[in-house]
Amino acid sequence: MKRILIASVIVIVIGICLFTPATGAAAEREIRIADKTGDWGNPSPYLAYARGPGYVRMHFIFDTLVWKNETAGPIPLLAEDWKYSSEEDAYVFNLAENATWHDGEPVTAGDVAFTIAYMKEHPYGWTVLESVDRAEVIGPHTVKIYMSSPYAPFMEDIGGTMPILPEHIWKDVANPMDFVGAGAFIGCGPFKYADFNKEHGTYRYEAFDEYYLGTPTIDQLIYVKTGDPQMALQNGEVDFADVKPDMADTIRESGFVVIAGPHYWNKKLMINHNREPLDNITFRQALCYAINQSEFVDKSLRGHGKPASYGLISSESVWASPDVPDYPYNPDKAREMISSLGYAWEDDVFTKDGKPLELQVLISMIGVGGQPTPDRDGEILKNQLEKVGILIDLTSLDTKVGDTKVVNQDFDLAISGHGAIGGDPKILYEMTVQVPGSKPSPNTARYNESEELNHLFEDLLHEMDPEKRRAAVYEAQNVYAKELPAISLYYPTSYYAYDPDAGVEWFYTIGGISKGIPIPQNKLALLGDGDGMGAETETETDAQATPIAPGLAMIAVLMAFVILQMKRSKRKP
Amino acid sequence: MRNRAVKMVAAYLLTILFLLFLNFLLPRLLPGDAIIAMYSGHEMAMTEEVYEELVRMHGLDLPLHEQFLTYITQLAHGDLGYSYISNAPTAELIMGALPWTLLLVGTSFILSAIAGIVLGVESSWRRGGRFDRSLLTFMLLLDGIPSLALGIMALMIFCLHFGWFPSTGAMTPYSGAEGIGHIKDVLWHLVLPLATLTLSMIPGDYLLIRNSMMLTIREPYVLTARAKGIKKRRIKYLHAARNAILPFSTRIGIRIAYIITGALFIEKIFAYPGLGCLTYSAISNRDLPLMQGILTVSVLIVLLINIVVDMMYKKIDPRVENAY
Repeated sequence: MKRILIASVIVIVIGICLFTPATGAAAEREIRIADKTGDWGNPSPYLAYARGPGYVRMHFIFDTLVWKNETAGPIPLLAEDWKYSSEEDAYVFNLAENATWHDGEPVTAGDVAFTIAYMKEHPYGWTVLESVDRAEVIGPHTVKIYMSSPYAPFMEDIGGTMPILPEHIWKDVANPMDFVGAGAFIGCGPFKYADFNKEHGTYRYEAFDEYYLGTPTIDQLIYVKTGDPQMALQNGEVDFADVKPDMADTIRESGFVVIAGPHYWNKKLMINHNREPLDNITFRQALCYAINQSEFVDKSLRGHGKPASYGLISSESVWASPDVPDYPYNPDKAREMISSLGYAWEDDVFTKDGKPLELQVLISMIGVGGQPTPDRDGEILKNQLEKVGILIDLTSLDTKVGDTKVVNQDFDLAISGHGAIGGDPKILYEMTVQVPGSKPSPNTARYNESEELNHLFEDLLHEMDPEKRRAAVYEAQNVYAKELPAISLYYPTSYYAYDPDAGVEWFYTIGGISKGIPIPQNKLALLGDGDGMGAETETETDAQATPIAPGLAMIAVLMAFVILQMKRSKRKP
Repeated sequence: MRNRAVKMVAAYLLTILFLLFLNFLLPRLLPGDAIIAMYSGHEMAMTEEVYEELVRMHGLDLPLHEQFLTYITQLAHGDLGYSYISNAPTAELIMGALPWTLLLVGTSFILSAIAGIVLGVESSWRRGGRFDRSLLTFMLLLDGIPSLALGIMALMIFCLHFGWFPSTGAMTPYSGAEGIGHIKDVLWHLVLPLATLTLSMIPGDYLLIRNSMMLTIREPYVLTARAKGIKKRRIKYLHAARNAILPFSTRIGIRIAYIITGALFIEKIFAYPGLGCLTYSAISNRDLPLMQGILTVSVLIVLLINIVVDMMYKKIDPRVENAY
């Protein structure tokens, strides 16, 4: 009897403790963003992981010279205005005079010049400064950047990507990869670093009230690691999350605002040009006619996507050529083209010298942002190519193993994918030819033999006249689509959803954040006049406040059980 | 007696050495270039200089035997290596995750053991009856449901539908709760993953105890105890269950590896920051030093627990001593 009483008291105390909400904290305007991975590295330039989400974590703290918003870029950020001098091959930037670092020191032209010198000495993964010669301080807030050779992607590649570092802190940092001490997170962006927890994969930023473009509309920004971001959003644990395409309508009906992403990521077919018959342009064009892009969109993406342009650059990019050659699905034409290469049609399979035409296709789970995503691409491709008489040996591999085989050119065809096709068209060059002095990337076609493309790439990289450059970019896409170093298959549509009551209107950045990151978490969404923005929310979650009812019910059941036990024990002799 | 102890220690040392060798070798046998594989998804300009620096940083420029020697030497100094993907010492990452796994898996171990033992004993005592048949059917059904599916069901019902529990993490980040409030928050986040893991472990314990009890309650000493008029509960738990529990203690040693493998999926779907989640992240990023570190720690834990179980077994069942 005594034991039952003690046990029941313990159960009740635990029950009350568990089922009542945690102590509340001060009301603050905060936004919580869900993320499945959590840890993207310390939010500083050198320590954030060299992936899109890592850069996004860092960009709230560190500003670049210029930036992009939903519709335009480059737009002023730290630099109020700028000018390019073709005679001197130099850029002059005038910086915002009221900009300060988070520790109160003013941002000066010296900081910009220092950053360039520092990053030339300590290479920063996102920005290659080979084209920059030096930076010179012209005035307290004016800096001149001299180029070593004309570099057309400068504004996006360097001006809109290179985070400016405070000289007074970084001048003593010998190894930036080890720098996590005091000052490592001092930037001049709209948010101050407050915390990063690697173990829990969480980040916290506090608004920088003295931000030169105005105080952010929220007090703090929090990233939360979640197993299922969409569920966390529906459960009220976060305000902003990516959602599964199939659930977009359901989420929208629940009162959330769903934003569909622009198509800046493509799934593509890598081709080994060193092997027959893949070294033949006609054969590669025949492959395009044999491939039904719409079937991939319908079956692999269940309609949430669109067929890709064969010119690599996204058809939604401002750089998309209007005349990219197309290859409408036509298996008969594909067979005809393959026959023209000396192949004989025997028992529904092409043969040459008695051997069937057989290709190996490497497949692995590749998705946007490097997240493994299961799909049916391999099977669909196999069916389509076998219909035109090409036998397919489908080999499913771990993504990294597949990447390595592609890098070692130990493959025929491989299904791969990458983003950044909405930003500067430099990506066309990077994904086509092997950049001198760099290790091969699994997404680069290493198609160096086309004189025409190489010539166009010269203009794409170095032509400073915008119109002439645009013409070269268009032509490069057209030639790419004709020669097909790789075959773009489709663009998946990604969806994000946010709670409109939280007071922030998120948007996708034109061309993607920085060099083309297709994540709708641009810091400019958190800036504004502040009126009506940033909903007042308690820092405790709803999930903690709701369990009182079931908690009390459970306690009542336990109490009833205890009373019954007491009665039963009383009845016993 | 002394020889036996020496043999046992030698056997364990050999096992450790062999497992460490495998641990060292297996990641290196993965096809392809380890550096390219590790950093291929990163937006970094992989120049020849950067590549060579990474090779040197990972010690992959040394001959294999020197790499192994370095690995063992570092291990002897308690250095589990450095995760360049996470930019942190491996030991630090593991020590950050281990307490959460111990909280989740340890509590689940205890709860599932208690429930499994009690239900197994009661079921076997009422063998063939309605209670036994119903419970057995339920347990077999439960055993057939993967823990992953259980977790998803729990999330759908208690999180999404009722909204009673949080869907993710081990605590509300930056909630401002301290002291008791913080403890409540941690417990509140523990409920769903703990319930899922416990439910997935109970059937195994239950079936083992039930079968073992079936044999034990037929023993003459149980009949003698009954004849002496000892209380039923005392016979069940002090006489029969105490002997029936012996195979269970062996199971503990085997199942300790469950700390990583068993909780991996649960931790992943609940984003619980334990060793399972860390292992998943290490594998998906092909973070070789972290993978090696986790495997080393788990190998040592499994062997350590087995040594303890080996020693305990002799105490629990003195007949083992004579079996040699």
